[in-house]
Amino acid sequence: MPHPIYLDHAATTPVRREVREAMEPFFGPRFGNPSSTHRWGREARAALDEARERLARCLGAKSAEICFTSGGTEGDNLAVLGSWRAQRERGRSAIVSSPIEHKAVLGAVHSAAHEGAEERMTAVTPGGVVDARSFEGLLDSSVAVCSVMWVNNEIGTIQPIAELGVIARDHGALFHTDAVQAFGKIAIDLSSLPVDLLTISGHKIGAPKGIGAIYIRHGTPLEPLLHGGSQDRGRRPGTENVAFAVGLARAAELTVAERPSEVARLVALRDALELALLSKIPDAIVHGRDTPRAPHILNISVPGTDSESLLMALDLAGVACSSGSACQSGNVDPSHVLAALGVSRELAVGAVRMSLGCLTTPECVRRVADLFPALITKARRLAGTTS
Amino acid sequence: MLPTRERVLVAMSGGVDSSVAAALLHEQGYEVIGATMKLFCYGEDVPDRPCCSLDSIDDARRVCERLGVPHYVLNLESAFGHDVIDNFVSEYASGRTPIPCVRCNTFTKFRDLLRRADAVDARWIATGHYARVLGGELHRGLDRAKDQSYFLWGIDRSVVQRMLLPVGGLGKATTRATAHALGLDVVAEKPESQDICFVPDGDHVRLLARHLPADAPALSRGPIITLDGLIAGEHDGFARFTVGQRRGVPGGYSQPMYVVEIRPADRAVVIGPREALLGRGVIAHDVSWLTARPPRIGEVVAVQMRHRSPPVEAEVIRLAPGQIELALAEPVAAITAGQSLVLYDGDRLLGGGVIESARTARSPLPVLAA
Repeated sequence: MPHPIYLDHAATTPVRREVREAMEPFFGPRFGNPSSTHRWGREARAALDEARERLARCLGAKSAEICFTSGGTEGDNLAVLGSWRAQRERGRSAIVSSPIEHKAVLGAVHSAAHEGAEERMTAVTPGGVVDARSFEGLLDSSVAVCSVMWVNNEIGTIQPIAELGVIARDHGALFHTDAVQAFGKIAIDLSSLPVDLLTISGHKIGAPKGIGAIYIRHGTPLEPLLHGGSQDRGRRPGTENVAFAVGLARAAELTVAERPSEVARLVALRDALELALLSKIPDAIVHGRDTPRAPHILNISVPGTDSESLLMALDLAGVACSSGSACQSGNVDPSHVLAALGVSRELAVGAVRMSLGCLTTPECVRRVADLFPALITKARRLAGTTS
Repeated sequence: MLPTRERVLVAMSGGVDSSVAAALLHEQGYEVIGATMKLFCYGEDVPDRPCCSLDSIDDARRVCERLGVPHYVLNLESAFGHDVIDNFVSEYASGRTPIPCVRCNTFTKFRDLLRRADAVDARWIATGHYARVLGGELHRGLDRAKDQSYFLWGIDRSVVQRMLLPVGGLGKATTRATAHALGLDVVAEKPESQDICFVPDGDHVRLLARHLPADAPALSRGPIITLDGLIAGEHDGFARFTVGQRRGVPGGYSQPMYVVEIRPADRAVVIGPREALLGRGVIAHDVSWLTARPPRIGEVVAVQMRHRSPPVEAEVIRLAPGQIELALAEPVAAITAGQSLVLYDGDRLLGGGVIESARTARSPLPVLAA
């Protein structure tokens, strides 16, 4: 088998060499606990403070507004539940969100609903964008927090975050965005953005799994999820993962510096792949195609195929894709995102997400542009003979 | 090693038999792909958890990791629900006692799985069944105590050419020993599953209640009557009964009484003494043959009407498309509508069908239209 092809960068990415090198000392000589007052502690504290500053700079934020987390899921939960619980005491009990959010946000919203939150879900256009008018219609003085992702993780569509943030602010509601797929693909400057809370994840940008960060605008009310020590101003008790925080800061710097050229590169590759697939499979549907999209995600459905079999066949041929967000049991269910867009079940069960990134080369695109249509032809031939 | 590594899709339940099947094929040089079929939602009681991950999926994956082969979860919930669970419910609702494992083999494991095998260019499919494929035909497992051929009669004959049943030549003790020898300690001592997989607590009535309307006759009160038509008591739904059952049958008779018939039209459960259970002939429908030359009228074959019962000789006395009637050489107790009639020639599986009715001493002329 020729070199396997990894087209699942939206799921995770390899840790960059520079990041590993930056982290290395903290597994060895600089192992201290940043809360300790002795020299080992001070060294670790210095590294952590510096990492926080550097990450803040990447986002246009102040150092104190950055809180390290274990990743996107924790960040989303802290943002949604933490802000809702804090706002509830001020008579704001509703949460506005969208049906195309990551399960980390939807799960947190449902959890808040069990505690008494009123759940309000916006309409989404068939193109995969939260409808701003519908969003505005859901806002009033009882809304505690709104949560809308910046880039959808399954189809890559970009949400009008600045516009929605202004609307939320007009109604005195907090605004959170899950920027896990946006960071590194879209310029983020929180100094000028009407966003109160923003989640990022390390392993999507070349840092390890198990580290992420949440931006908490100065003065944003937030109840911690965990209770214990006073680390990170009590917002996130527990001994900080210094090495990974340093790694995240390094990865963020590299990602931000490379963003313009990397985006241009990925757009060219994605467009070439998309064009090739659509020309060879004329009835294929690329979800969110007419909507502004992040450059790294291509989600394609072919009528009469099922993604479960396609993903198996692709994998066995050495190509790694996914059908949307990965599920623990490895089981494939039709996407809640595509359902929210009004995509028929028949098309949704065939959806395959290809996500490009640091490992993607023109050669990868050429091979997948040949292999995928061939697998489709075979799948359709089998479907024709067995049903 | 095989000259070219032939690809085999192995249905892995996470149990010891299919795990050993995968390991043996891997050892024999096949390119093994493990697949666990997700057939129903395990997590109905667990809200907010879209990922159903029963331990069995984890076990199958651990075995594949151990072997260094890929493992996939195949979601066949909707097909299984339609082909197996819906049929299970409707059979009980009609007063019969179904065997869902037969339909699962026929439709899910050896039809739907085969399609998945085609999709990934796998020439073979394999399971952990105790049966053997010899010369393109199915035979009983070598260990008669473990033989599962009874459940395989409904498979399409063409599929047999692509089946590998590597544990069919082993005994369970050997299988467990093999599991240990192959380092599959995760699964080596797992208990055997006896229940119907989608009724893990054995309470099939609870499952029926979930699928049937509240006033379904099968779950409603009805009379228990004797063969003479006398009312002997009441029951809470005929779906709780099967032919040959004693539990729930009124006592106080000169001899033990058994369920001998279920009459869904009257919601009646008919009881009688043991000799009323004896059948001298059997009629089956949905007949399927696994041999190029099915038996003809007048031929004598061995038949089995329960998984664990010994085979008895029977003569084919009537054949119609999809139907068969046999006269039994000796009377057999509790021939039950919905169970399987399976025909053998020695160890060779000839075919089978779904039991429609028994001919007993009390039954009139044959019902089967020629």
